[in-house]
Amino acid sequence: MSFRSFDIDSLDEDILAQDELFVFSNGVEITPENASKHVKTKGIEVRNQLTRGDTANALITAIESPPYGVHTIDAKDQNTKIVMDVLNSIKATDIPSLVKLLSREQQDILMKYIYRGMSSPDLYNSTVLLNWHEKLTEVAGVGCIVRVITDRKTV
Amino acid sequence: MSPTEIHQLNFGPITAHAFNKDRTQVAVCPNNNEVQIYTKAGKGWNLIHTLAEHDKLVTGIDWAPESNRLVTSSQDRNTYVWNFDTETNEWKPTLVLLRINRAATFVRWSPHENKFAVASGARVIAVCYFDEEHNWWTSKHLKKPIRSTVLSLDWHPNNVLLAAGSADFKARVFSAFIKGVDQKPPPTAWGDKLPFNTICGEFSNGSGGWIHCVAFSPSGDALAFSGHDSVISIAYPGGAIQSVGLTSLPYLSLIWTSEKNIIAAGYDFTPVLFENTNEGW
Repeated sequence: MSFRSFDIDSLDEDILAQDELFVFSNGVEITPENASKHVKTKGIEVRNQLTRGDTANALITAIESPPYGVHTIDAKDQNTKIVMDVLNSIKATDIPSLVKLLSREQQDILMKYIYRGMSSPDLYNSTVLLNWHEKLTEVAGVGCIVRVITDRKTV
Repeated sequence: MSPTEIHQLNFGPITAHAFNKDRTQVAVCPNNNEVQIYTKAGKGWNLIHTLAEHDKLVTGIDWAPESNRLVTSSQDRNTYVWNFDTETNEWKPTLVLLRINRAATFVRWSPHENKFAVASGARVIAVCYFDEEHNWWTSKHLKKPIRSTVLSLDWHPNNVLLAAGSADFKARVFSAFIKGVDQKPPPTAWGDKLPFNTICGEFSNGSGGWIHCVAFSPSGDALAFSGHDSVISIAYPGGAIQSVGLTSLPYLSLIWTSEKNIIAAGYDFTPVLFENTNEGW
């Protein structure tokens, strides 16, 4: 059965690579270092907003301009952690009004983070995330889920 | 609004269908290698012809309204043009030389019915025309820069421009000008010099998702496409694009009813009407 381990795609010179399908918002890829730096400053801002009790803006800051890219793995991990901290610190009763505040793009990004969080149940609390998922789907519909699943710009 | 008529033709899915000009006959593929033609009889529909020339699933059917010819595409990599022989009362197939090495996925007659385009999994679109000299249908390939399977096509009303939606998340507008077949077209909003395989536009809605359907507006000055990411986008020559994100499941088919209205239908069972108000879609 050793033939099953062959990477047959590498024999096809006309292969379509992952990064060819990737569309950057302004046409250039952000370097992993810059992405991490950006996420770090974002983290400080979010923490300040949370201590001030400004949860709505903390949520928006946390999910805004995610470190999209093929090589920005560290920045993505950090950003996910920031978003999860915000989601955990918001009271369950406030969720419906908060998701209604978000624009369609922001709702899509939030849904991406909810799925990202649920993919590592050992790190993040799935009960909280499922509650967010339910409330967000009520507002944004199943179209939001379909967009998250098809989108190559992962968080 | 006329009431909807429901007729059960068979119990499986219908993979492709096309009506004739006056909608008294319909050609459908009942999810196999055959094309069945039903004719309207009173309140029901009767099966009158079965066209069984393909070896595999039929993926596309189009009925040319004026010349009354059928064209069918199939996963067996072939396309047939069918002519109705009134003497024998039979549909006669003619094989088209497509030269593709993957399934044909979609087929559409051009508005003048002297050409048709076949989309395929081989990352090419075969633009087919009748070669008088050799008395057969032959094809030219639109190749670049398609990176994946082409899923849908639509012709511009000028018979030259062709829109294609592909699994590489992009909708494109090509020139499918065939020397000797086409007259030089008048300048359009998409460009005025249009040799074969000119790319007049390449659009992506940013996030991705296969493009299930492309459709030119009646004037041909706008292109709508719908992706598997539940977004429909309307693109204009020059690159302007407006996307509408939906709360529902993705749409598979779009039809313009006027310059300001689009009917979309897809996975959530219900056709939906989109309207362009002055602020946008």
